[in-house]
Amino acid sequence: MTVVSPPSPGAGKPLDYPSSSDLFIRGRRGKHPISLLELGARGSGIVIILMMTGLVAVLGYAAAPSLHTFGLKFLAQSSWRPNELEQFKRDANGKIVKDEDGEPIKITIPPAFGALPVIYGTAVSSALAMTLAIPLSFGAALFLVRIAPRRLVMPVSFLIEFLAAIPSIAYGLWGLFVLVPFLQRFVEPPLNDFFGRVPGLGWLHSEATTGRDMFSGGLVLAIMIIPIITAVSRDVLRAVPRIQIEGTLALGATWWQSSWEMLRYSRSGLFGAAILGLARASGETMAIAMVIGNINQIRSSPFAAAQTMSSLLANEFSEASSDLHRAALLEVALILLVMSLLFNIAARYLVVGRGGARAAAGH
Amino acid sequence: MSTFAIQRNHSARLASFVMYSLCVLFTVSILAVLGIVVAYLTANGWRFVSWAFFTQDPQPYGSDGYPGGMRNGLVGTSILLGLASVVGVPLGLLAGIFLSEYSSRSYIAKPVRFTADVLTGVPSIVVGILGYELLVVPLGHFNGWAGALALAFIMIPIVARTTEEMLRLVPNSYREASIALGATKARTILKVILPAATGSLITGVMLALARVAGETAPLLFTALGSRLLTFNPNYPFPSLTKQVYDYATGPYTQQKEMAWGGILVLLALIFVFNVAVRVTLHATGRTTRRS
Repeated sequence: MTVVSPPSPGAGKPLDYPSSSDLFIRGRRGKHPISLLELGARGSGIVIILMMTGLVAVLGYAAAPSLHTFGLKFLAQSSWRPNELEQFKRDANGKIVKDEDGEPIKITIPPAFGALPVIYGTAVSSALAMTLAIPLSFGAALFLVRIAPRRLVMPVSFLIEFLAAIPSIAYGLWGLFVLVPFLQRFVEPPLNDFFGRVPGLGWLHSEATTGRDMFSGGLVLAIMIIPIITAVSRDVLRAVPRIQIEGTLALGATWWQSSWEMLRYSRSGLFGAAILGLARASGETMAIAMVIGNINQIRSSPFAAAQTMSSLLANEFSEASSDLHRAALLEVALILLVMSLLFNIAARYLVVGRGGARAAAGH
Repeated sequence: MSTFAIQRNHSARLASFVMYSLCVLFTVSILAVLGIVVAYLTANGWRFVSWAFFTQDPQPYGSDGYPGGMRNGLVGTSILLGLASVVGVPLGLLAGIFLSEYSSRSYIAKPVRFTADVLTGVPSIVVGILGYELLVVPLGHFNGWAGALALAFIMIPIVARTTEEMLRLVPNSYREASIALGATKARTILKVILPAATGSLITGVMLALARVAGETAPLLFTALGSRLLTFNPNYPFPSLTKQVYDYATGPYTQQKEMAWGGILVLLALIFVFNVAVRVTLHATGRTTRRS
């Protein structure tokens, strides 16, 4: 422990205090409040790091049995059968095999778990959402930074931030009772017919359109992530030095040419904003569980029901039928966690220092 | 500096006009869609919120009082929020104080800030599973404590980061003046900085509360939900959001209508908190912008 003299308030130097150990030595005054407050503050900082490590450790530990049983095959398996299945044995021609007494032979198929359908569901629904959300959000961000008159910026910004605060379940309720019936009646049948008739697009065709499918899921997700992408990319664009814009304009660029330079200048921040949206979309649970149909299958048509990692957890975890079933779900949760951590870390590296940090932090 | 061919000819002007119009169009359509969402939620909710909604508990289908109200959910959510705040608010505030006031000589300040930001992005359903593993498995059944723990887990990083932002808005001259008067650092924080930021700290906490009040996913396998009015968190515990989810995905029309009412109550809460934050920040003449 060294005794440090209090820092002189030199110009340009960041304000600094004597550290607590100095104060311990220098006097009795405020000994207790200092130690307690600083201890608590530093301790709480460590708690945040412990929360993260604890989260990863607990999920990893809980998913260990499944990791052990299924290994990496889990990621590539597409069947999801929580319960044993009894089937009649069939020969190569599909005829039911019978024993000597003419009774059909039954075989028991053990439970099987594979994450491929839910990984596919998460990937495709997020991709759909991103395709819709990115152009709209970047357009709106440009509007807020370069077009909107001053008195419009505040209310529009507030609206968009308020919409980011609306809970998932509210979007789910709206999606289930308003969007799904609307799509089912007016949008999906003609689109589906179109896909069915045009050669080359047949893979997008589905036998029936229920409204609760990948398409609705992607749409609801897009609506949900637009506010966050808009808010972050607005802040990113705002951080572009004015001189950049003025420079392009002075060279005679049109509005779009200079805007394009703005977008180019802040491309990594915008990329970060998009990844942040992707992180939101891929981890979204309640809204998607209410509109995506919740069937573990891989279908190329957007009008077929699907399932995402998070909706699978929401639907099955509390009623898991066996320890193995629960372990498999935990492994799905672990995949979800690792994926979201990767997205979030990447996004924050890209956004931090480019003005988007505040909106990226979600408040 | 990149090179762009400047062609102030017709096609460039046309492209510029088209893109300009598209930006306006995109903004208008975003606001329109989101306006439709909010309009449906409020209009439908308004129709189905009644006095009974707040004063009665749910009644089973076919009984006299069907469908009853959502009092149990409102009480349950309030208790869960209270329990989560008991843990989450002090920890979050202290961590925020650490990030803002004690970070200059700390090696872990940057990692803590980064971790807090990443934690706010963790899917809430995963946090629910953490609550399940930590408190439901040991106790052997679903319970309110696990739900409160999951909510607190979500609250802490949010409160920490808003607190940091708010404390940074307190001018450095306050700190300098306090030290110049001979106050210690702790005294400066407790008697000068925190009082100067009280209003914004309260709104920050309210914002975090509004955020977790709307959470459903972390409660699915922790508090689970209940149709009864209960004050005992040792057992499955009701919450507004879980009840809305059950009603919305359930078979009964009148319960679906009540789900709309439940959402409106939630939205009103969130809206009030958000406006309060705006007003406080505006009144103190500050913005949360750092850059």
